[in-house]
Amino acid sequence: MSQGGEPAAARPDALVRLFHVSKSYQAGSWALRDVSLELRKGEFCFLTGPSGAGKTTLMRLMFGAEQPSEGQILVLGRNVGRLSRGGIPALRRRIGVVFQDFKLLPRRTVEENVAVTLEVVGTPARQARSRVFAMLKRVGLQHRRHHYPRALSGGEQQRVAIARALVNEPEVLLADEPTGNLDPELTVEIMDLIADVASRGTAVFVATHDHSLVSRYGRRVVRLEGGHIAEDAPPRRTRP
Amino acid sequence: MSAWLSQVRLALRAAASGLRASLATSAVAAVTIAVTLVLVGAFGLLVVNMERLLDRFGEDLRVSAFLVEGLDADAQEALRARATEAPGVLSVELVTEEQALDRFRRSRVSRAALLEGLEDNPLPASLEIALVPERRSREGLALLIQALEAIPGIAELGYGHEWVEGYARALSLVRGLATLLGAVLIVASLLIVTGTIRLAVYARREEIQILELVGAGYAFVVAPFLIEGLVQGMAGGTLALGVLFGLYQVLVPTLRGSIEVLLGDVQPAFFDLAGSLWIVLGGAALGMLGSAAALIRGPDR
Repeated sequence: MSQGGEPAAARPDALVRLFHVSKSYQAGSWALRDVSLELRKGEFCFLTGPSGAGKTTLMRLMFGAEQPSEGQILVLGRNVGRLSRGGIPALRRRIGVVFQDFKLLPRRTVEENVAVTLEVVGTPARQARSRVFAMLKRVGLQHRRHHYPRALSGGEQQRVAIARALVNEPEVLLADEPTGNLDPELTVEIMDLIADVASRGTAVFVATHDHSLVSRYGRRVVRLEGGHIAEDAPPRRTRP
Repeated sequence: MSAWLSQVRLALRAAASGLRASLATSAVAAVTIAVTLVLVGAFGLLVVNMERLLDRFGEDLRVSAFLVEGLDADAQEALRARATEAPGVLSVELVTEEQALDRFRRSRVSRAALLEGLEDNPLPASLEIALVPERRSREGLALLIQALEAIPGIAELGYGHEWVEGYARALSLVRGLATLLGAVLIVASLLIVTGTIRLAVYARREEIQILELVGAGYAFVVAPFLIEGLVQGMAGGTLALGVLFGLYQVLVPTLRGSIEVLLGDVQPAFFDLAGSLWIVLGGAALGMLGSAAALIRGPDR
């Protein structure tokens, strides 16, 4: 057992659970130190903190891109640190991930970029087409489905990335600075879309250093500083 | 089944898209494979013709089985038939006493005098036994001798032991050198091809990361690259075959004198259909292995 140990009890609807998680890239220096938190079904949580606070590291640990140096990470009941090589893709198929730089496939159309999530799980082509169309309609891009990413604006590209992350109906959505490259108007548009995802039952974790955004939505806020959790504030009552 | 077919279709589509998007890199990979296969193929052509020369020598290899005296024609024919069944026998020719005497007289005129004054023909009947090419070795010959010695009616066996040893040594040397140099050339070409394909993989590392991010398994990610390697390799193999054939057509008439010194009366030959297919398939294998090695040693793995 790691230093953090196993939890004694957890809420039954917790989809993400971190127990005393630490991450170190070099001896004596910690990117994350003793982080414990839970994220429940349908919960919308902001992860804030200055640059270098460990937000991206925490996100990467949750989708298995990194292994914790200490502690345990349970995502959808799977211990991420103990997953086999084949186990990580299986876990990622149940998680949606959105990045600041969109990470779209430049040689595939909008429709193909969204469909790739369904292709990897072997969804039949006809069913995939109809689900992709429905998802593009939800993000308001059905008319752009045959365009390539380079022909889209930043906001449109991020909407494609969100559509790709959501088309397989993930139980957890991780968004790392999803509005970092967007102007304020588009930021609200994208965040409304993400907030809507949480209202449909997906656990949403959004890393941002945009305080105005955090204030506007009034959701739970986990603030990281120097790799520690400095604050875990519950949601306010009023929401936009 | 349909899900599996669907995955194959997706891999083919992704491979075609990858090839279209990186035409220049794909062309460089195909040409690299072609250049290395031209080297391997030219050496292979030399080995094939050297083996033909040695096979030509091997055709002269004969075992003489001298028959006991006093056998009638039927008994001699029965022995001939039985010798045919021995392991590794290509053909058996019966040389009667009269034929042996006739050959002796014709071959060695100066010694013909030795036979004058003899009332009886002193030469025995014999069986002249030729071996199949794959048994023209020390071991093959030993097996044949063992089988012939067990046949009653055969009095003595004669064969050029030293000649066989020399032939077998020459064949082993050529084949050993071919294997060694072939292996060195193939490893060298694999390294070059891997380096080239690795560049293509590196250029598309972000695409690989994105696919892995959405939960693509290892097979889903690497299959298009392997298909691309296969296509590049087949193109390289076909190009190499064309270049080799062109060089063969130009160089054989030009170097006829040197070739005659090397091969004697054996006519030089290009690869047959099977050999040509090996070049193309070798290119395909090289391309796939290069892709696999590039993915294993890739920047993000």
